[in-house]
Amino acid sequence: MLEAVGAEGYERVSVRSVLDRTGLYRQAFYDHFDDKADCYLQAYDAGVARVEALVLQATAGQSSWVARLRAGLDAGLGFFDAKPNTGRALVVEVHAAGPEALAKRSAAMGRLVSFFAQAQPLGGLDPPPPIASEGIAAGIQSVVHSRLASRGSVDLRSLLPEFMYFAVLPYLGAEQARAELRAPGVA
Amino acid sequence: MDSSASNPGVGPAPSPRLPRAYAVRSERERLLDAMIRVVAVKGYEATGVTEVLEAAAVDRDAFDRMFPSKEACFLEAYDAIIDVLVAHVSAAFESTVGQPWPDRVYAALRALVELLSREAEIAHMAMVEITAVGEDARIRYRAALGRFTYFLEEGRSFSPRGEELPADTAGFAIGGATSMIFDEVRAGRGEELRRLLPDLTYAVLMPYIGAEAAEREMRRVARGG
Repeated sequence: MLEAVGAEGYERVSVRSVLDRTGLYRQAFYDHFDDKADCYLQAYDAGVARVEALVLQATAGQSSWVARLRAGLDAGLGFFDAKPNTGRALVVEVHAAGPEALAKRSAAMGRLVSFFAQAQPLGGLDPPPPIASEGIAAGIQSVVHSRLASRGSVDLRSLLPEFMYFAVLPYLGAEQARAELRAPGVA
Repeated sequence: MDSSASNPGVGPAPSPRLPRAYAVRSERERLLDAMIRVVAVKGYEATGVTEVLEAAAVDRDAFDRMFPSKEACFLEAYDAIIDVLVAHVSAAFESTVGQPWPDRVYAALRALVELLSREAEIAHMAMVEITAVGEDARIRYRAALGRFTYFLEEGRSFSPRGEELPADTAGFAIGGATSMIFDEVRAGRGEELRRLLPDLTYAVLMPYIGAEAAEREMRRVARGG
């Protein structure tokens, strides 16, 4: 479903095109899903859960917030690079899939925001206002959205140093942010 | 072209002194205006061309001569909205020439949220509805966001570390602000967008000047404004 939506766009995808991709019979589809919208919503949940599991797995061995952030972002971006259609289905096409899908998107964004908000400001720095983490999540989401939507060569991982710069800036200050910009990325 | 050609559906014939092109343009404008108003209330999917024709008092033939589809008409109407938004924001930005860049950003953002909150239905159409219309609409949407980068360019020279800023800084800042506006508008709080102004100011300035300076500016400009 996500592959089909990412490739064809939510509006254009039909149950037929999903069946063609999966080789399932129509009856099998309707045993599991009410309709296209229901199938997309379930696929969206599963897709987001998969990305979040990858991110969590990548952050598990890391000791500091900044290392977890770097590893987590890298894992998420790497997933979208490997599966750009799924990425488009989750990030771009969710806007075409109705209010329930948008509510799910908001919830996922909320979890991303709290991921950034876990940061502890470096000693001597005042904690930034709560809006900082929202701004970072929204900014990153937006750049990823426009890259995925443009359907060019994606390579989101190449944006990791930039994203780290923006994410680190309010919590750890300009010095650390600059260091992230020059960092070679995740080994 | 025969200027006496009949012009069905426009109601009273236009003044004979006006060239036919004038009537055509005004039919087009009426259609664009009607498209905006109907979609703003009903949503794009639920809007039929017939309702737009009724609201515009234009007949189907005239519509078909001007637009190949409902989508084409909608997209042109969308561009017209963005033109108005950009002009409005631009006027605020230009009226503060010579002031520090954060003040100019604040003035531009204030103009933006004031217009959007005054026209909450149109804001919903231009920010939420547009992302659901399809690929062409999304291209317009991204192009529209791109038109706001102009207001941020000065941030590079204002920032103490302008040369080191990542290439996508404007995209990040605009994206962050847009996304916050999007959430409010989608949640039906479009009329209360003004409350978001300090947060928006912070989100746009922070990538350029850092958190502490952005917070200072946010408080200062919010007090001054």
